[in-house]
Amino acid sequence: MTKKKTASTNTAPARRRLTALLGAAAAVLMTTSLQAQAADPIKIAYNGDISGSPSAESGQIGVLGIGAAVEDINKRGGVLGRPLEFLVRDDLGQPPKAIQNMTDLIDREKVSVVFGPTNSGNALAWKHIANQKRMPVLVSSASSTAITEGPASGNYLFRVSMVDREQAAALLAYVKKNPEAKAVGFFVETTGYGQAGLKDLEQIAALHGMKPVSIEKFDARDTDMTSQLSKAKAAGADTLVVWAQAAPLGHLVRSMEKLDYFPKVFTTWAASFSGFPEVAGPKLMEWPVFLTTSSERKSAEADSLFARIGPKLANPSMFWAASQAYDTVLLWAAAAEQAGDTKGEAVRAALESLNKPVAGMVKTYDKPFSATQHEGLTAADYHWSRWKDGKVVDFNDPVLAGLQPADFKK
Amino acid sequence: MLQAIIGGLTLGSVYALIALGFNLTYTTTRTLNFAQGDFVSVGAFVGLGTVGVLTAALGADAVGYVWLYALAAVAAALAMGVLGLPLYLAAIRPFAGKPGMSWVVSTIGFGIVLQSAALSVWGLGARMLPAPFGDEVFRVGEAGFRSQELVVLVLAFAILGAFDLAMRRTAIGRCMRAVALNRDAAALMGIDVPRVMAMAFLASSALAGLSGVLVAPILSASLFMGVIIALKGFSAAIIGGLTNPRGCMAGGLLIGLVESLTALWSAQWREIMVFLLVILVLAMAPNGLFGRKLVEKV
Repeated sequence: MTKKKTASTNTAPARRRLTALLGAAAAVLMTTSLQAQAADPIKIAYNGDISGSPSAESGQIGVLGIGAAVEDINKRGGVLGRPLEFLVRDDLGQPPKAIQNMTDLIDREKVSVVFGPTNSGNALAWKHIANQKRMPVLVSSASSTAITEGPASGNYLFRVSMVDREQAAALLAYVKKNPEAKAVGFFVETTGYGQAGLKDLEQIAALHGMKPVSIEKFDARDTDMTSQLSKAKAAGADTLVVWAQAAPLGHLVRSMEKLDYFPKVFTTWAASFSGFPEVAGPKLMEWPVFLTTSSERKSAEADSLFARIGPKLANPSMFWAASQAYDTVLLWAAAAEQAGDTKGEAVRAALESLNKPVAGMVKTYDKPFSATQHEGLTAADYHWSRWKDGKVVDFNDPVLAGLQPADFKK
Repeated sequence: MLQAIIGGLTLGSVYALIALGFNLTYTTTRTLNFAQGDFVSVGAFVGLGTVGVLTAALGADAVGYVWLYALAAVAAALAMGVLGLPLYLAAIRPFAGKPGMSWVVSTIGFGIVLQSAALSVWGLGARMLPAPFGDEVFRVGEAGFRSQELVVLVLAFAILGAFDLAMRRTAIGRCMRAVALNRDAAALMGIDVPRVMAMAFLASSALAGLSGVLVAPILSASLFMGVIIALKGFSAAIIGGLTNPRGCMAGGLLIGLVESLTALWSAQWREIMVFLLVILVLAMAPNGLFGRKLVEKV
């Protein structure tokens, strides 16, 4: 009995210790589990061309920019206390592959946001999927005007990049204001890019009451545009607005040299892609004036980002692609923090009403988007640029200095 | 007009070289190399790489060093010619002489493998191969030309002439013509038919590689540039007559001129006119302008 009692007496503290241990273990497990749950990464993705077409250059640089932003955000604790996990899907520049990637990322990977794409055609191919599945998309590269035009039921595509319509508005604002531009000609590729650009140019020219003296087209694979240039020359065009990809633009200026015909040439950001200086050569590449979102780095943050990713860039003058991509992540992260949620609808609503300015690489975004305005950058934000001594630098002249907001008709 | 004619003949002579390549493989093996465009593109990059390596090693400026360019052209022709052998062994020999069109897919597949491998080495961008005599424009009246256009024109005609001569006057040329005429009879005469077939692929691939180096200083080298050149070369062979090497050459020059002269009127109609010409010629002369009807024994 005594023995039993003794045993019982000895067992009780043991049980209490066991219970305490189990309790502690359960508490630890619960805490760990809660921490694990809290630390579940938020999946974000890039869906764009990083290998399949000459435009892939901007896709590769965009991925570097997003990767850097993810690294920085994770260093400061992630978004809503959760780290970001960055997935990259190459669409090879092909719309069917881009669509397949998009559905895979949304349905299987359950990502919270998609960045990209590189090519406008691919964005237009899958934008209905993003809108139907309420997936926020922040476009960091593709420039077609129609990308951010969404349905009344909810537009989930936002952009921090060039917009074709805005580029046309800026270029023609300059031409209209320039007293030396007496006769303008339009030169466009026969691709979808060129044709959409021509439509924007013609519409905006009409708003200015301008009539081009010559409209010429060329195939993106053309290497000799002398016949088209001869017609523009005969028509007296002293200014050309060109809508073309990088390499054909290079061939255009080489053809100009063959004819000894050097009108003023204004063109899009495609001139900053490496294909243009490569084809045009060191002398002719300095001829056109074009638009970028950041010709030269003007902040310590941009310098710091460039120091990290610059050595990986084959063409450092396309650093703008990294800056834009970096900013898209910051804007999405700010929206998710404001919404307190990563769900598509909540993030879209927050993006349309950001209540704090977001300091990005290209600029500080103060209420950049609204329910009807999904462009983070507009014509007034663009930088006028040109190639000089192998680098893209700012272009300035008195005409540019005199441009007023009212000049940007669109 | 002069500018258009010189430009048309320049590109046309390159189409003629490619067309000649199609003629060589078709007459000897009754197959075509649909990877020809990739051999053009990769050949251009082999030339570019050769110039790059040599200029870096010698600390020389590529422009003005004619021998550097000549070495690049030889390297591209050799490299692509040698690659023509595995193409023949892997993609043609198993199917040559057998019914079916398996070689179509196998040659396209070989081209895709070649292009993908090249993409991983050289990347996507367009690159200019420095022209050996410089990039300055010289003028004749209103027209302006670059030295490389004349280099292409002269070299292409020289190569076409040399091939024409070789096919008629040399032993290997006679062997090729014999195999083209009647494979079984050629074998009975002691000609090593598989070797001649392999030689045809070697020569055809070498011509494609050489074409790539010739046009790279004009068109800019890109791994996507060869497709359209090969398509025009094939059209040239069809127009001129796939079985007639001289016809192939004439077809190339004709397509180059039609392209260039149409662009004077409206550049958008250029491709339309070229392929309308192909359809028109085929409607009137199904074997091409200089081709002869093939009699297949069954």
